[in-house]
Formats: sequence, structure tokens, C-alpha cells
Amino acid sequence: MAISAIKNTTNRVQQAFYNIMPRYVAGEKADKLYKTAGREISSAENRLILGATALMSQPFIDFHNRRIDEDTRRVAVCRTIAKIIAGTVTGYAVRKGSIKAIRACSQLPKDGVAKWRSFFTPKDVTKIDTDEFKQYQNSLGTYISLGVMLFTNFLIDAPLTKFLTNKLNARAIDNKKNGGAK
Amino acid sequence: MNLEKAFSTLKSNLYKNYGENPGKMLVHTGTAGWILSSAAQVMAIITNDKIAPEQKTFLIPQEIGDGLINILSFYILTSSVKNLCSKAVLNGKIANKTIKNYLEKNKLNAKIGKVDFNIKKTENFAEIKEDFTSFKNGVDVLASTAGSVLSCNIVTPILRNEYAAERQKSMNEHLFKRNQAQMKPFHSVSMNTYMKNSGMRI
Repeated sequence: MAISAIKNTTNRVQQAFYNIMPRYVAGEKADKLYKTAGREISSAENRLILGATALMSQPFIDFHNRRIDEDTRRVAVCRTIAKIIAGTVTGYAVRKGSIKAIRACSQLPKDGVAKWRSFFTPKDVTKIDTDEFKQYQNSLGTYISLGVMLFTNFLIDAPLTKFLTNKLNARAIDNKKNGGAK
Repeated sequence: MNLEKAFSTLKSNLYKNYGENPGKMLVHTGTAGWILSSAAQVMAIITNDKIAPEQKTFLIPQEIGDGLINILSFYILTSSVKNLCSKAVLNGKIANKTIKNYLEKNKLNAKIGKVDFNIKKTENFAEIKEDFTSFKNGVDVLASTAGSVLSCNIVTPILRNEYAAERQKSMNEHLFKRNQAQMKPFHSVSMNTYMKNSGMRI
């Protein structure tokens, strides 16, 4: 009973949202853009977009955090920028690499194809040049990359973040001593 | 179930679940990524020998709290944006020309925007299936990306800053209380110790 009440309320809220929402019909160019995005944007590209937009927003949020003193704020901004750069570079590379590796190992099993090259191909698949199969390769590659990142987080991300934070912080201190940004 | 069979089932499930739903995959793998990254942060504290056990009992729950903020804010925001846009395609509020013409041709315009309306369940859906799926996948992926940008780059940093400031405050209080507890009242210093220490003063 409680579940159906929650469901009804959710439906009513959603209906109110769709009543307000104007109808949108995509033109030819936008339609093409949506379809290309659906086909081409994997988790690797998604991580790259997240990193680029993070650089445009997060340092400013940290810079305007008035609840901490000036020195802590400077280090926080430097660390945020360093974390974004290190996280995006390794995140993109590991995801892209894992997806590529999965693609190489998910061929159709047939004569002339080594057994290991069809290691990740599901049994019931007969065609691999479809959008569905590409999405499958992307998702499996992404899950594998999450396992790889458990190691790269410690081996690459953390030391690279520390290195970049120190570099950026030293530069920020130098700029401050010299009376402003150069 | 042997390992080979389990792996085969896993592959088939992934193909079935994500093959036609890349937006869902981005939300799920993104959430899994946040969970693993938060777990790594907690593990880093647990295995750090330089942090005293007493400090760990304080820092571990704090780190778990921080991780929960990240995970929940990502999952709730990203999946909400993705689901709203996905449903908007299913009920015809967001469409391309092919879908618009299909709705007009089948006299379904009155149902556009209704929560319980699903184009996929209409009689002649097979006519536009391929085009519809491809368009919906694109909307799902872009909505998931927009949702993750909103949660990871705007909402989470603001929430995290608030939480970090509170955390710093409670950490200071915790350290202050601990130091106070370690301080001995003046009258408890023995004469022997007093003589020893006083000798150091000039």
C-alpha cells in the first residue's frame, strides 16, 4: 500500500513536470547529433567531458569558499585543479584502453580467429557490427577499467595529484610574492 | 554453477541490459566508480600506519560520510535527469521528425506527455523502431552526461565544501577535547617531577 502511494505521488510529480515541459522536436542537424552521441560517446568520452567542465567550475567553487582561510583556500584550489587533471588523464586513458582491449577480444568465433579474440563475445551473438554490440563492448570495457583503476588510483593518480598540487601551489605563492598573477 | 557458465551469463546479461541502453550504463558504471573510489579512500586511512588508531575511529566514519555524499548525489541527480529525459522520449515530449510524423499518422497526439504513454507499446512501433532506439540512446547519453556534469561539478563540490568545513570544525573540537583530557591539573604534579622540570627553566 505504501509502495503504491509512493508510486502514485511520483507519477503525479512527473506528470506535473511533463505538463510544464514544452514539446521539443529535433531538427535534422540535432537529430544527427543525438544519434552520433548515442553511438560514439562511451564512458571514456564521458570522463573527458566531465574533466573539461570540472576545470571550468570546481576551482571557482573552491576559490569562493569563504568558510576556510586564504592559505587553505589556495591549496584547495591547486589540489582541485591537480586532481581534475590527473583523474581525467588517467581515467580517460584507462577507460579507452580497456574498451579497445575488449573490442580486440570480442570478435565472432570463426575459422582463422584465435580463441582468445572471442573470449568476451556472448554466446548468442551472431553479428558484431551493430550499435547494441558496440554498447556492450563499451560497458564491459568500462567495468574492466574500474578494476584497473583500483591500482592506477594509487600508482598514478595519487602521486601525480601530489606532484601537480605542489607545482601549482609553488607557482601561486610565487605569483603572490610578485604582486599578482603573471 | 561453474565459473565458465557464470561468465557466459554475465556477458549475456551485460549485452541484454546495456546493448540498447547506453545511458543506463553510464549511470551504473559512474556510480560503481564512485563506490570504488570512496572505498579506496577509506582503505587508504585504514592501512595508513602514520594515523593513530584513535584518530582512525574518528576519520573512517567521516570518510564514509564523504563517500556517501558523492555516491548519492551522483546517483540521484544523474539517474533523475536521465530518467526524466528518457521518459520524455517514450511519451513523445522529446522527438525527432520521424517520431513526430509517426504520432500524427497514428492519431496519438492527444497522448503526448502522458506519464503512462509509451510509444514502444503502440501497435505499429516496428515501423520506427530502429530510428527511435538510435534517437533515444543519444538523448539518454547526453542526459546522463549533463546529469553527471551537474552532480559532479556543481552540486557535489558545494555539498563537499560544506561537509568539509563541518568536518574540520568537529576535528578541531575532537583534538581540543583530547588535548584537554591529556593535560594534568597543577596539583597532580609530584614534587619530584616539579623539581626535575623546574630545573629546566631559566
